Amino acid sequence: MSRRIRVLLAKLGLDAHTIGVNVIAQALRDAGMEVIYSGLKQTPEMVARTAIQEDVDVVGMSSLSNAHMVHFPKVVALLREQAADDKLVIGGGVIPEEDQQTLLDAGIARVFTMGTPTREIIAYIERWAADRANAGDARAERARE
Amino acid sequence: MSEIAKRVLDGCAVSGGRLIRWLEDGDSRGLAALRVVYPRTGHAHLIGITGPPGAGKSTLVDAVIAELRTRDHRVGVVAVDPSSPFSGGAVLGDRVRMQRHATDDGVFIRSMATRGRLGGLARATFEATVVLDAMGYDVILIETVGVGQDELEIAELAQTTVVVSVPGLGDDIQAIKAGILEVGDVFVLNKADRPGADDAERHLRMMLHLRRAAEGAWLPPLIRTVAPRGEGVEDLVEACLSHHAHLRESGRLDAVAARRSEHFFREILRDRAADEILRAAASTDRFAGLLEDVRSRRIDPYSASDALLAAFEPRFEDADGERGASS
Amino acid sequence: MSESDQSLRDRLAAWERDTLAQKLAARPERKSEFTTQAMHWPVNRLYTPLDLEAVGFDYLRDVGFPGEFPYTRGSEPNGYRSDLWTMMQVSGFGTGDEWAKRGRYMLEQGLTGLFLEYDLPTTNGYDSDHPLAAGEVGRAGIALDSLDDMEALLDLPFEKLQRLTSICNGPQTVNLAMILCALEKRGIDPGSFTLQIPNAILIEYTCVGRYLFPPDHGLRVATDALEYCIKNHPNWIPISVVSAQLYAAHANPVQELAFSFAIAKEYLDAALARGIPIDTLAPYFSFITGIDMDFFEAVGKLRAYRKIWARIMRDEYGTDRPESQRLRLTASPGTMSLTLQQPLNNIARLGIQMLACAVAQGGYAMNTPLHDEAHALPTEEAIAVGAAIHNIVAHESGVADTVDPLAGSYYVETMTRKLEDAVFAELDKIAAMGGALHAIKTGYFQKELARQQYERVRAIEDGSRKLVGVNHSVRDEGKRSIAIHKHDPAVEQRQVERLRRLRAGRDGAAVQKSLDRLRDAARSGENLVPPCIEAVRSYATHGEMCDALRDVFGSYTPDASAMGI
Repeated sequence: MSRRIRVLLAKLGLDAHTIGVNVIAQALRDAGMEVIYSGLKQTPEMVARTAIQEDVDVVGMSSLSNAHMVHFPKVVALLREQAADDKLVIGGGVIPEEDQQTLLDAGIARVFTMGTPTREIIAYIERWAADRANAGDARAERARE
Repeated sequence: MSEIAKRVLDGCAVSGGRLIRWLEDGDSRGLAALRVVYPRTGHAHLIGITGPPGAGKSTLVDAVIAELRTRDHRVGVVAVDPSSPFSGGAVLGDRVRMQRHATDDGVFIRSMATRGRLGGLARATFEATVVLDAMGYDVILIETVGVGQDELEIAELAQTTVVVSVPGLGDDIQAIKAGILEVGDVFVLNKADRPGADDAERHLRMMLHLRRAAEGAWLPPLIRTVAPRGEGVEDLVEACLSHHAHLRESGRLDAVAARRSEHFFREILRDRAADEILRAAASTDRFAGLLEDVRSRRIDPYSASDALLAAFEPRFEDADGERGASS
Repeated sequence: MSESDQSLRDRLAAWERDTLAQKLAARPERKSEFTTQAMHWPVNRLYTPLDLEAVGFDYLRDVGFPGEFPYTRGSEPNGYRSDLWTMMQVSGFGTGDEWAKRGRYMLEQGLTGLFLEYDLPTTNGYDSDHPLAAGEVGRAGIALDSLDDMEALLDLPFEKLQRLTSICNGPQTVNLAMILCALEKRGIDPGSFTLQIPNAILIEYTCVGRYLFPPDHGLRVATDALEYCIKNHPNWIPISVVSAQLYAAHANPVQELAFSFAIAKEYLDAALARGIPIDTLAPYFSFITGIDMDFFEAVGKLRAYRKIWARIMRDEYGTDRPESQRLRLTASPGTMSLTLQQPLNNIARLGIQMLACAVAQGGYAMNTPLHDEAHALPTEEAIAVGAAIHNIVAHESGVADTVDPLAGSYYVETMTRKLEDAVFAELDKIAAMGGALHAIKTGYFQKELARQQYERVRAIEDGSRKLVGVNHSVRDEGKRSIAIHKHDPAVEQRQVERLRRLRAGRDGAAVQKSLDRLRDAARSGENLVPPCIEAVRSYATHGEMCDALRDVFGSYTPDASAMGI
């Protein structure tokens, strides 16, 4: 049995456009990842709890309205509170440039705006997972020494 | 005791989620912790929920969670969905229907991909139920894949197997195969407000009537539900709990538990033995050549296996030559 | 086969052998296979009368005359020679006052129709102070909480306004009641303009997601609004099948037409069951579609729309009345074909699409999205350019001066027929499933669309579908900033304060009484519009009325399959 990257995809706020999240879900699946889809109108509390129960590696949040500024940082804060912040938290959707820095400062690792090629997102996640695995190996190495 | 095992026994969600993950990924830390918590488990009531696609299993599970919560049960859920045979990835969407319980401390929902395993469960579904049991969830619902194939293994795992059907699935007797009919403990006709419900119920009752029934055996009830409205769900939960009580009172609960332990012992042994044999075979000098011959059809796969296994002698130091690994 | 066909066949073979082969030997073609953009149907090098022969084309049966069955050439006998289309543009954000200010600006620019689009809390049935509304008030549209807000919205020069389109599909009866009460308070004759309410709830379940109640109840609310308008405001347009949303969700033309006609049949059947005769009902149905960049697919689609509707009316609903068979179509360039990258390129796209709409008799009213719309809500400059696109096509291109000038084109007629046949085949499939409502509940439509969306993205990413500025002819223009309408964060606060003041100043007991009455009506099955009007008059808020309906109908959470996953 081998490790598979697990990704939670959630829509926050009231906007219900599912095209982006549908496409990303299918693309990540085809890249060999396990995508947990938790549906529409999720609150930050729901997203954080789900991420913990599912022990995903990646939390992907989508917003096509203004929900990102209100909700995305809250998810990061909730994960930190529960010592479950070893996850990669990324956001996507229609997110104006001037909001992006605020989100990065709040602990969102990366913001993918609408139209980002799916392979770019896949490559980013895979690179993160590989870096983490290497870091883990190095840690284990040090522990053995 | 390992730190993670202790936290799992304390019911910590982060640790429980992580331990299931390790077990699913075959991480050795997972088995170490599982060994510690295993003796403290075996108390939960495992309810399997199976049925064809479109039967509304997730919605039913959502309603059953709600009903169990009003009775103060702590509820664990393992929802299994298929992995893509092409990429090995998966889209797991069962919990969409159950998200109103996401922030309830008394509920823990875990989605799981089959990762190539047939039979309606994932390889680590058993382990996940052990972890949820260790975390103190006293009722654990297992939703099978429901792709319409025979999904009988659920009956080995669960004490109570709920078989869900709906009206209007066609001639294939609502896609319920004889096998699943034999192992069902509670039958549900979901979406019972749909046209054709009465016909479907008659048909199901007739099939159930044909089932062999021993003296004093449990007579599986048939319950009509409309899951989104919660109709019939109280009866369904009542039936599941009565079935559990029946097993306990008739002294069969221990036998069921013993059978489950035996089943998973054999499964685990088979999986691990197969993994080891494959690994050992792959490291032999002949393997690469034989593989190439099979791929180019210069040799049939049976003869190639024979050629490798001829040099393989399974032996247990304390066994008398019985080949336990290939039951 | 006629003698002339045979001679044509011979000539074609000779042309391929002598003329074409020479060219191909010198210059191979750009691609081994040319296909249409959405259907991926092969596109031949050349279309001739032989292609029409192959599909059994018959001029009178397939095309006929404009304004007559089967309406392929248009619903009006003389196209746009008497009246041009109503030139509309979407614009909506902020509070009622702000929208009205912008609406007046747009009417001064020569536009004759306005769209009222509401913010997400409103379309989801929550007041501006609901916790889920935080950050969304007045963002994607107008915040509507009470009759007060609607009165402010309708502060418009109604003498310049031909059509007002109000888009709120979930709680349609609530919005309708607010409009009716606001007109009454402002003393405006409802007959003086056309109110269009798309009432497109089944499309919402299929792809947009702004619904409140389970699908059966959603359909009931829509049917109530439809029935009320037909009986009380016969000059309004109380139902539109907004297939543009299907297109925006990347439905291909066959899916778009088949799904939207199947959905239309659900509305028709629900209203027929209320005892409204087909010939009263059918003339109210209009379709709002969006078109994509493939010019000939677009032209074929618009022609097929009218033809299929006419055939459904005649063959399935048994009516020969021209008013019932004649489809009211509003076609518009689609926002989905616009690119975020290099937004000025979108002006060219809009021009081409507008041309296709006009040349194929796209309809009575058309709206242009704006070239920067893919970014956010549009700027005033974009609105002016959008109006110019209408006028350039209408007055400079000449396509509005003759009726359906592409009729008889071997390619266009072949395309139209092919689309028509494929749509009827898909309609049969949906009917065998039990109709559109069932297809929505089981997620069939949603899954088909999800697959299509993924395929489209993959085609753009692997370059098989070219998008200028995205994967082809990308100009390096460095970091280019585009003017985006800035949202004023104070809007939300102002709106919430306004709502709180309203709640404090009204007769609470009267509100509760009117809401109880609304719940009773929801239970009893009587038409919901009159009790909604009563509630609006008592200053019950939009969210309170929606909650009252949710108390009876429940809310709807689709499962993963009904979201396309």
